[in-house]
Amino acid sequence: MHPAIRLADVTKRFSGTPAVDGLTLDVPQGSIYGFIGPNGSGKTTTLRMIMHILLPDAGRIEVLGSTGNTAARDRVSYLPEERGLYKKMTVRRLLRYYGQLKSRTIAQLDPVIDDWMTRLGMEGWGDRKIETLSKGMSQKVQFVGAVVNQPELLILDEPFSGLDPVNAESLKDAVLEIRRRGTTVVFSTHDMSTAERMCDRIFMIFRGRKVLDGTLEDIQAQYGFDTVRLRTAGGAAALTGMAGVQSVNDYGQMQEIRLAGDAQRFLQDLTSRTTVYHFEIARPSLHDIFVRIARPEGAAAV
Amino acid sequence: MKNKTVVIATSEFTTLVRSKAFILGLLMMPLFSALAIGVQKFTKDATDIKDRPFAVIDRTGVLYGPLQAAADEWNAGVRAAAPQIAPRFLPSQTSFAGDDQQARAALSDRVRREELYAFVEIPAGVLDPASNAEIRYYSNHPAYRPLPTWIQNTINREIVNRRFRDAAVDRALVTRLTRRVDMSELGLFARDTSGAIRAAAPVDKIRTIAIPVAMMMILLFSVMSGAPQLLNSVIEEKMSRISEVLIGSVTPFELMMGKLAGSIAVSVLLASVYVVGGLAVARRFGYGDVVHGVDIAWLLLFLLMASFMFGSVFITIGAACSDLKDAQGMMPPAMLLLMLPWLTWFAVLNAPDSPIAIGLSMFPTATPFLMLLRIMLPPGPPAWQIAVSVAITATATVAMVYAAGKIFRTGLLMQGKPASFVEMWRWVRAS
Repeated sequence: MHPAIRLADVTKRFSGTPAVDGLTLDVPQGSIYGFIGPNGSGKTTTLRMIMHILLPDAGRIEVLGSTGNTAARDRVSYLPEERGLYKKMTVRRLLRYYGQLKSRTIAQLDPVIDDWMTRLGMEGWGDRKIETLSKGMSQKVQFVGAVVNQPELLILDEPFSGLDPVNAESLKDAVLEIRRRGTTVVFSTHDMSTAERMCDRIFMIFRGRKVLDGTLEDIQAQYGFDTVRLRTAGGAAALTGMAGVQSVNDYGQMQEIRLAGDAQRFLQDLTSRTTVYHFEIARPSLHDIFVRIARPEGAAAV
Repeated sequence: MKNKTVVIATSEFTTLVRSKAFILGLLMMPLFSALAIGVQKFTKDATDIKDRPFAVIDRTGVLYGPLQAAADEWNAGVRAAAPQIAPRFLPSQTSFAGDDQQARAALSDRVRREELYAFVEIPAGVLDPASNAEIRYYSNHPAYRPLPTWIQNTINREIVNRRFRDAAVDRALVTRLTRRVDMSELGLFARDTSGAIRAAAPVDKIRTIAIPVAMMMILLFSVMSGAPQLLNSVIEEKMSRISEVLIGSVTPFELMMGKLAGSIAVSVLLASVYVVGGLAVARRFGYGDVVHGVDIAWLLLFLLMASFMFGSVFITIGAACSDLKDAQGMMPPAMLLLMLPWLTWFAVLNAPDSPIAIGLSMFPTATPFLMLLRIMLPPGPPAWQIAVSVAITATATVAMVYAAGKIFRTGLLMQGKPASFVEMWRWVRAS
């Protein structure tokens, strides 16, 4: 089976500076693929190239088996990071317009629009103007605008940013629903916990280059069990000067440390210093891995 | 399933005709006309009726009397009119005793205190035909013309009468002998199909001038109401990142052509409303036959060319800028092109066959307006001039749409500082 997206050695430069540098990536059909990376690392540029909004300077991009600029256009949908809506249009008119641009007729679109509006709790919004909607409501409209054509590939740029937990939950359910219907979903996010929980595979781009690609387990396995989460009476102060502690992430009530060396010996040393309530040897979280790569000392290694 | 360009054009058209700008554009031309007529009527009826007292220093010793008599006659006419529509002119004779300069300064002070509106000095030599002496009118209201004009005409009439009398010439006879002969303007004689001669008809200014000018104005207003809207539309899409969604669904060229088509449909709708409304009014006043099918065809052709051309220009500006503030900086050259026919149509009207009229009507951005005017003005330009101007403009239109397409494709996704003209030229040249 062809991958939904295949990037082969893709490069894109702006004014001579590479925004994406020799990127190779396969996104399997039917998966949810998370794109992560710091601001300015090349995520949006990559997504725009996949959408043929930007053309690569080098390399090959295949979307749904097609390399042409327009062939897969009606089968792919894109939700940009911000806005993307006509303020003066009513919700239904806008959704019909976006659907018609994907070669659907109004007769085909109306039942799909009604279905999604019901699912997302948007009943009765059809005649409301976009400018009267809150950010959360607008984002839902944007999402429906991206799925009215029932795309085979849905690309979402930061779909959950700025949403309150209720709207974020509702949008998350919608993304999972569209995947259940067979759509491949690619989304970029800064929220590592969302990526961990939702994505089948995760791809991290940093300074235009691929630095991570695989399932969460694959990625975590690269780092081994070098992380300890603990809660002690002494808190972060108790860890000062302890052998093997490479870094401490202090959350106040608990600490997460990166440990080099034997965890059992470390536990013995720690109990001699303070009372230990919780001691968990774990793989690093995606958040931790992200920070390790994107921090200056990590960046130097890339 | 509709073509995507048609979908965009339909959406653009629907959005534009629902906007306040369209309603305003629809009303603009009749509103301007009504306003112009209304203002004229108002200013005609609401004439200044404030009394104008003025002092006269008559060194001839004979002119004040006739001046006073003429003022009395004028004032009697003013009083007889109901309502009063002109001011009364109230002369008072004065003379200088002692230093003339002191006297003039004193009278000037009275004018400043508004006891007088002006004062007039008539030198003794004015009655002598060989003299270069001139009447002096002093006032601090140089913009007000009726009083000095009336004084000058009245005194001159009396001076000329006196000169005739002194020369023993009968003024009434001279007037009879020098009476101007009127000339009526007519068209040409013609022969009908049976060979019978049809007499020349008097020139009707409404048919020969007002209608051509009205047609050109309809074209100008229709283009001005449609094309600049494209700039707002493109900038809104850029600022709201709608462009990214659209370019994910259609090619930039489809998007641009859809927008142009929508805007042109708006201009055509406006022009149709104006033409139909104008014809209804014309028919009511007996001019139902003044506009022919071929005139409408010319209007439509030039409307399409102008809309494509100016639409491309405004789309280009929109694509090159990221917000309205930037766009305002790039607007003047485009507006100048649009204003060119507005600034020059009167010269073309006065002499449609002059070199300047021919040259201007061959300049692509002015051709649609000025060539339409020339075509409508009898007898119309030679066919070769029409053909050349249409060919030049059609070529320029295609070139501008092509260039706009290139700039639009690149500029649409650019954010931040607006593109310079050099950058845009580079985009046009890029493959």
